[in-house]
Formats: sequence, structure tokens, C-alpha cells
Amino acid sequence: MTTANQATIKDQVRQFIREELASAKGISTFRDDESLMANGVIDSLGVFRLVTFMEENLGVRVGDEEIRAENLESVDKIEQLILSKIKKN
Amino acid sequence: MAYVLQQLLTKSASRLPEKTAVWARGRSISYRELDELSNRLAHLLQQHGVKKGDRVGLLFPKCLESVVCMFAIMKAGGVYVPIDPQAPGDRVSYILNNCGIEVLITLDEKRRAFDDATRQGLRHCIVLDEARESGNGNGIIPWSLLSQYPASHAPAVTLTETDLAYILYTSGSTGRPKGVMLSHQNALTFVEWCADKFQITDRDRLSNHAPLHFDLSVFDVYNAIEAGATVYLVTEEIALFPTTLAKFMETHEISVWYSVPSALVLLLLHADLKAERLPRLRTILFAGEVFPMKYLKQLAELLPAVELDNLYGPTETNVCTYYRVDRERLAGMEKLPIGIACENTEVFAVNDQDEIVAKPGGSGELCVRGPSVTYGYWGDTEKTRKMVVPNRFQPNFEEKIYRTGDLVTLAEDGNYYFVGRRDSMIKSRGYRIELGEIESALLSHPAVREAAAVAVPDDVVGNRIKAIVASHSLQSIKAADLQQHCATRIPRYMIPELIEFRESLPKTSTGKVDRVQLSRDSWPVAV
Repeated sequence: MTTANQATIKDQVRQFIREELASAKGISTFRDDESLMANGVIDSLGVFRLVTFMEENLGVRVGDEEIRAENLESVDKIEQLILSKIKKN
Repeated sequence: MAYVLQQLLTKSASRLPEKTAVWARGRSISYRELDELSNRLAHLLQQHGVKKGDRVGLLFPKCLESVVCMFAIMKAGGVYVPIDPQAPGDRVSYILNNCGIEVLITLDEKRRAFDDATRQGLRHCIVLDEARESGNGNGIIPWSLLSQYPASHAPAVTLTETDLAYILYTSGSTGRPKGVMLSHQNALTFVEWCADKFQITDRDRLSNHAPLHFDLSVFDVYNAIEAGATVYLVTEEIALFPTTLAKFMETHEISVWYSVPSALVLLLLHADLKAERLPRLRTILFAGEVFPMKYLKQLAELLPAVELDNLYGPTETNVCTYYRVDRERLAGMEKLPIGIACENTEVFAVNDQDEIVAKPGGSGELCVRGPSVTYGYWGDTEKTRKMVVPNRFQPNFEEKIYRTGDLVTLAEDGNYYFVGRRDSMIKSRGYRIELGEIESALLSHPAVREAAAVAVPDDVVGNRIKAIVASHSLQSIKAADLQQHCATRIPRYMIPELIEFRESLPKTSTGKVDRVQLSRDSWPVAV
């Protein structure tokens, strides 16, 4: 995994969250380390849209038991989850 | 006999002082502590000018202190007003102003985010966290000041069951939320019915999934306290993740669960829900929206020993009908009834000829009569007069009934079935949403000429919201800009997920926006 690829993954995650989830909640900016639950960007449906995005666009499989705050709380955490999955393969 | 809600706490605290009353975010509070802390806060409120009937606002995420505040405000003779902590500033200011809240319990960051006018309207802010500028005669009272007030007894206030206990704000069709006034009697009618019907005891462990500004929480909090049971508050971080939520139910050995169906559907689809993981779970109550049959059948199969009850009723009556799921009938059922009236409540359908529907097969608007019916909407006599009307079917004395706006059918077996709405109110995740309120938010954007909001049916959450917008000529506008604009006026769950732009909106022959056409265009939709 190169640094460029890592940046791309994070960019894609950020872009998806901004355009598909945050925007519909009227939120335009958020930090990579910010809790997306505390600021209301991700709601109960948003969680599953995010997981679908990760599976369909980033090629990782996310199990139900992995859909937890520790893994999906922020852009940083989501990136870590994806990277750990790519490394395993 | 309890005739005001706080007596439920006082009684349980004397019977079971050391028992855990509430658990939230890893902390818990005993009945004695809850009683004492709410006594202290009641004295503090009274000393800071809160009198009988005064409205006191709550604006912070759900925690142990929420329950302390609810009891304390009522002990001081006040009326509590729980406000969605995620609501936009404009809506919060409207609510504070609309019901004349002069004392607010909140967090310092929320207080600092208010505009000047809102801040000036508040005589006192009690801040749960330490405020930077407290104690300078600026009306800011730190929570830590509670220790200076007496714990052993509540202040002396004369209340009767007809006094108001709380006001819950729900979506209003004219673009602003409306405050439903609920008395102690309204609440206790429901609580006592539940205590009897569901046999809640001090061995029970109740969950509280709904937000406190949502009337489902009335059962969780007050029925737990009434029985001397423990209520476990589900906070947002838990509610969002089905596996975390299932783990919560397992760890706390929840025995009675109450939520909107969509929360149960998400558990069913994404958490490993098994009867053996939930050995103490005995009752699941659900309300707020229609439970999709295919999921209800799966739930019934998965948890064969758990009693399932469908509760129905708008905030204005709390719950007025119920249906206990009959597993033998369930397999062949296509639609779930809303059931029959709760004891001490009467319901009937009134048809277009203004007659009570007496025979099976007839349809009409469901009306509710009895001690659970609200007085109406705070500060809105016009709306109140429209919905809480004289009961002309009973000539002997004056009384009011509530017109729910819900169209129902009476079936052969005596159960009522929900058919639809008379107006444009919809439900999403159990939340009441007036499409008109969304349209007003859209129309308040200077570039918007015409706007209509429509509901797009969804298997899990009931409905998703789509908007169709026509802008003024030559003005280009993006969906994201409009969504951001909406976020300053309406709660996030009301913001349209999808916005479609058209040159103009279709009209009916009378020149009104053709909602039927727009709804048809939106079925099905790819979001």
C-alpha cells in the first residue's frame, strides 16, 4: 500500500461522507478526527449507506459485528478499518 | 394513590432506597440519590424564581441528569420541556420563546451558541458542565451549586392532577413546531394502564430507546420508577449500531423493551438477535409507525417466548389503542391492527357523514375520549380548537375529544386498522413529520419559487423524504445549499434526502400543487 493509495482511500471516504451523508444533514465541514455521530452526520441509515459504499467502491467486506462506533466513528477510524482489511488480504 | 408523577419516585425511594433507578453512560443512580438530588434541584429552581406552572427547558444529550431534572422540575411545581439537543438553533430559540422558557438546563457550549436575543430571554441557565463565566450575576448557575440545597424533602407546592407536567414539541404543518401540553393526569392514565397491562415489577429492567422529547420515553421512565425497576438509557452511540445495541440488551438483561419498529428491524437485520442471548426479555412494545409485517413475523419467530404488543396513539393522547400480537393469527395476517382502546380510554371512528362508525367495515377519522387527552397546544388556541373539539356525541356534560387525523377501519373482530392520514403528516423512524413544515423551510430560501415535499415509502424506516423544487428563473441553486439552509430551520430527520429540480411543479385543476402526481413520480426512487 503506497502513501498515494492511502490518501486516495481517505479522500474517497471523506468525499462520500461529505456529499452523500453530511450534505443531506446540512453539514458542510467536519474534521477527520471528529465524531460523525456526535455531530449528527451519521444516523442509523447513514451507517449502512457508509458500509455499502465501503463494500461496493473500496472492495472490502464489513461484517455486522464490525459495524461499531470504534470502527466507524470518524474518517480516521474508517480509514484504519479499511487499511487493516486490505493488509489482511 | 399517585396523582402527580413525582409521587411515583417518592414512593419507590422509600420502599427501595438503595435499588438502582437509572443507568446511563456507565453511571447509575439509586432511588434514594434520585429522590434527594431532585429535591435539591427543585429547591434551587424555586429559589431562582420557578413557580407553579413555569416552563423549564432541558437541552442536553440524554444522561442520568435528564431524569433528575424531569422530577426536580415537577417537584418545584414546574412543567418540563425536553428539547431535541440536535435541533438547529433557530428551532430551539423558537421553542424557548414560544412557551416562555426563562430557566433552561443545558451545557455551557449550547448556551454560548445562542444568539443575543435568545440569551437575553433566559433569566437563568443551569449548566451541567462547569461554565467559564458562572457566578458573575449573569444568570449562569453551575450544577455543583446543588449541594447547597436541602435533599431530605421537596419544596412545598400545591398541585393537582390537572396541572401540566410536561410539554412535547412535535412537527407543525404551518412551518413551526407545536407544543403538546400534557398534564399529570394525562401521563398517569397511561402509566397506570401500562403498569397493569404489562405487570411491570421491581425485578424488571426497562430500556429507554426513544429520545426524551419523544413520548415513548414516558413509559420507560415513569413505569420503571413506578414499579421500582431500573431503566437503562440507550444513548446515540449505542442506538446507531445494531450489534452494540444487541450487546446492550444482553449485558443489562433487559426484560421489557419499547421502541419504534425501525429500531427493531435494524436489530433483526444486522444484529445476531437470539432468544438465548436475551433470556430475561419477556415483553417488546412498539409504537410510532407501522411495523412491516414480514419483519414482525421474523421477530415473532426469533423470539418465540416474548410477548409483542403494538401500541398506537399520537402524542396528544400518548397511547390510546393496543394490539397484543396473536402468534397463531400472525402467519396469515397481511396487516397489523392498531387494536382496541386501552382501559379508561374510548375511541371511535367518525365518518364523512359525521356519524360514529358502528358497523364492521366502516371507515372514518379516529377520535379519542378520556383522561389521556391533551388540553391542546401551548399558545395556539386556533390549532387547539381544530383538533381538541367538543364531544357532540355525548350530550350530558361538556367534554373534549381529540381528532387524531388518522383514518381507520373497524374490522369484524372489533379491532381498528390504520388506513392513512387526512392531512400531509408522515412518519419516519417514528418521528411525526409535517410535510408542510419542510416546504416552509424550503420556501424560506430566497431562490426557491415553489417547493413540495413527498414521502417515499421505505421498508426499514417507514418513509424517506424527497423534495421537488422550482427555483426563480436565472437563479441556480444546488441541493446541498438547500439542505444546508433547511438544517438551520428544521431537525435533521426532516431534511429531504433527495432534492429534484424542475422548471415548475405539476398542478391540479384547481391550481394547487399536484401531490398525488409528485408522489407517483417518486415511487420507486433510487436514493
